[in-house]
Amino acid sequence: MLAALRRFRFTEFQLLVVPSLMAIVGLLTIFLTRTGTVEWTWRDIWVSLAYVAMLIGISAWLSISGFKGDQVLFPIVAMLAGLGLLMTQRLQPVLEARGAAWARLPERQLIYLAMGLVLFWGMMTFVRQLDWLRRYKYTWAFAGVLLMVITFMFGQEINGARQWLDLGIVTIQPDEIVKLILVVFLAAYLDDHRAAINTVWRVGPLNLPPIPYLLPMVLMWLIAVGTVVLQNNLGSALLFFGIFLVMLYVATGRTLYVVVGSASFAAAVYVAYQLFGRIADRVQNWINPWVDPWGTGLQPIQSDYAMAAGGLFGTGLGHGYPQFIPVVETDYIFAVIGEELGLLGTIGVLCLYLLLIGRGYLIALRAEDGFARLLATGLTTIIALQTLIIVGGVVRLIPLTGVTLPFISAGGSSLLANFIIVALLLRTSDPEWRRG
Amino acid sequence: MRLFVRAVALVAAALVVAYGFFVLDQEQQVEWLGVVAVAFFLLVLALWPSFPAGGGNSFERSLTRTASVVFAVFVLVSVQLVHLQVVDADEIGSRTMPTAEGTVMDPRQAIVSARVARGRILAAGGEPIADTVINPDGTWRREYGDPAATYLAGFYSPLAYGLSGLEQTYNAYLRGEEGGNPFTEWLDGILHRERRGYDLELSIDLDLQRRAHELLGDQSGAVVLMDAKTGAVLAMAGSPTYDPARLYTNAGPDSDAQIQAAEAYWAELTQPGSSALLTRPTQGLYAPGSVFKTVTAAAAIETGVAAPDTVYRDEGALTVDGRVIPEENRPDPNRVSYTLDEAYAWSLNVVYAQVGLQLGAERLKQYATRFGFEQEIPFDLPVAVSQISQDEGFLNNRAALADTAFGQGQLFVTPLQMALVADAVANGGEMMRPYLVQRVSTYDGKTLQTRSPEVWKRAISEDTAAVLRDMMVHSVQNGWASDAAIPGYLVGGKTGTAEAGGGEPHGWFIGFAGKQEPEYVVAVIVEHGGVGGTSALPIGREMLRAALERSGE
Repeated sequence: MLAALRRFRFTEFQLLVVPSLMAIVGLLTIFLTRTGTVEWTWRDIWVSLAYVAMLIGISAWLSISGFKGDQVLFPIVAMLAGLGLLMTQRLQPVLEARGAAWARLPERQLIYLAMGLVLFWGMMTFVRQLDWLRRYKYTWAFAGVLLMVITFMFGQEINGARQWLDLGIVTIQPDEIVKLILVVFLAAYLDDHRAAINTVWRVGPLNLPPIPYLLPMVLMWLIAVGTVVLQNNLGSALLFFGIFLVMLYVATGRTLYVVVGSASFAAAVYVAYQLFGRIADRVQNWINPWVDPWGTGLQPIQSDYAMAAGGLFGTGLGHGYPQFIPVVETDYIFAVIGEELGLLGTIGVLCLYLLLIGRGYLIALRAEDGFARLLATGLTTIIALQTLIIVGGVVRLIPLTGVTLPFISAGGSSLLANFIIVALLLRTSDPEWRRG
Repeated sequence: MRLFVRAVALVAAALVVAYGFFVLDQEQQVEWLGVVAVAFFLLVLALWPSFPAGGGNSFERSLTRTASVVFAVFVLVSVQLVHLQVVDADEIGSRTMPTAEGTVMDPRQAIVSARVARGRILAAGGEPIADTVINPDGTWRREYGDPAATYLAGFYSPLAYGLSGLEQTYNAYLRGEEGGNPFTEWLDGILHRERRGYDLELSIDLDLQRRAHELLGDQSGAVVLMDAKTGAVLAMAGSPTYDPARLYTNAGPDSDAQIQAAEAYWAELTQPGSSALLTRPTQGLYAPGSVFKTVTAAAAIETGVAAPDTVYRDEGALTVDGRVIPEENRPDPNRVSYTLDEAYAWSLNVVYAQVGLQLGAERLKQYATRFGFEQEIPFDLPVAVSQISQDEGFLNNRAALADTAFGQGQLFVTPLQMALVADAVANGGEMMRPYLVQRVSTYDGKTLQTRSPEVWKRAISEDTAAVLRDMMVHSVQNGWASDAAIPGYLVGGKTGTAEAGGGEPHGWFIGFAGKQEPEYVVAVIVEHGGVGGTSALPIGREMLRAALERSGE
């Protein structure tokens, strides 16, 4: 009994109070704003109650199973995913007005969220160690490349980007899996060949980087980036490139790679800018969307209006006008937060991501095994880059490229992939596995 | 040392961002991105982790550095959020662009403005200039009063051309978001409570305002009549003007028709050559002509360069650096000596050219600035800035300095500015802060704010003001302004005739009147009206007379 109490995850349990309250109060606010009354029953907010029940259930299960890993990560994720849940519920009338095909999106998102939590629980329960990830690295790499090729050949095109794979029942976004594979492969490969990569390759009088050892990675990366560029999916290309660069830098500590990598990427972007009209549009929207205010500029202009309308405190959940921003539920979900929750809301959300990222890097620093370190670094970097790419795009610090806002944007594949990331991070933080 | 570099980099980053916030325009996106990039490098410099020699392994060092870069980017995204959501939020929200497919604008503005019943704009005494009528379905619409004053309210056209005039400057008051108890207003906003906008009561006396329009008739020009002691604007007329009722648009079943009508009227108003949208009393810029001699005389007397009885020679022309200044105003062509006082009354250009040369560019500039030139006059409507000269160093040319001293050169002034010059003389050297809005109240009449008169600034000493006052009175007793006399009252004035680049010159009059003390000041301009004494002066005299009779004295 005492032993059970001692391993109870108190910090995590206490921290879960915040996301629980937010989910309940938030959904109630949304419901009451929509109906314009003060009448409600518990049934109206069953979604949040179910969510809270799942959070508590998972935390309790982690305690019971004696898991000793990080206690802060899960509450942060619960907060972000809860906000995502509120946002899709908030957008329901907007999506309904758009037609029957969209009306079921909030419902589907609920199922994805439930699936994500179940997947998380499953991984925490059944995947006790991660050696298999490292052992089969070439298999993963091969699977990843295959997935990209299949998507390229049979993929579905939505909004001009070929990045969806229709499996009959569900449509998945293979990029979300490939980004995980990329991190696992790079972590395993860089750790295995760390010594070799840190040597210098002498060719006659020249001291070159160990090109023979870098080659497989560069190849894997080239295939991934090449395919996403061919798919016309710049957000993923940027993400993959960033992951590659950060992991290479962290593993070797060489600034040279960062410089050469960034320069070559800038050159590639410049070439792409000359070749594809789509990129030129995005650059124009970034610099001045008012050039084409009814066409490509409509989204950024309306997003700016929404952000400005929010001000410091925001209009309050349910009191904004997200219907004015086209395709608001994915790329521009952050603008809805900006309008309804204000500057306090947007900075709050950024702080949550920063806490998540900081915690992730801390896990990497504390890990003792080389593979675990690189894995945690890579997984955290996914979250960091994705957040910065999409938020930076929405606030027009960089051109907008379509990646999802982790845990908040609508999209099943992305949500599941993000829960896998958290599960892997938590597993990495487990001191028992660390030692073993 | 390391710490010092960090601190400097951090402060520099903050300064660079502040520059971006407060100096750059919302439209200067490229420059702003440059600011963000510079701030990024400074921030990374400030945050770059340092390790003791041999401390930490390669992995720890590079991961910590990566984390610091990620943190810096998050900070900059937050800076951009502050920029978008707070610093530039009003500018972004009110940005519109007319296109062939319709005007691009924030749809929220129209929705919100249709929901909150806007406050009324009333003349002194409560007669509505811009009224609010609540429709049976709970929505509201604007109805306009006497067209002699409605353009002071400005237009309310959120669906087409935005807002102007008081509708714009007092928008937050008219929407009930500012002006009352800040806490309850904030609470009402947060809780989305129903609210009604606040009413504005102006200092405009509708009878005087109508009289000003009658007197102007179909001439182009402007009239400003102020209470000398308080700065309350009693009449402020400009002609030609426009009808805000025809630009009015609001969300509702009629909005499409309103937008169409507004667009047709707007096209008419913005035709080349039309200046009806200009609020002439505060935004019209004209050469002042001889009324500016008041400023030159003030400078000369206060600096001791001349006294009212200082004698000058006027032989009918003066040559300054090759430029001949002819004299056309002498009452008697055989007389060549005049005191400064007489020269003011007879408006002698040759004398004031000499006074200007004695003063020099610096002192003349200094006194014009003390009277409010080159500054934005604090007022309830947008004002244009009156200027002493266009080109840098223009006054260093002696001929230009002489021209400026009697009111030509590159001087450009607003009628409101000249009314304030008269006010400084009439009010013991102090210019009152002019105002239009004298009371803010709730829709059911509860007073929230009353304007109390404030001194804007002191232009000249009390003694100088007394001397100038006598000079202006003399000008009416025995000078070109003698028609301004109103039997039984103390009246001072100065006429002006300003060359206006082709066509008849502009006629000017500034003056004051009262029982024993100056009570009202007036400034009148009649565009291309010819000599000031016959065009502007009668209007000014009648306005002063009407104001005096109104107060029953």
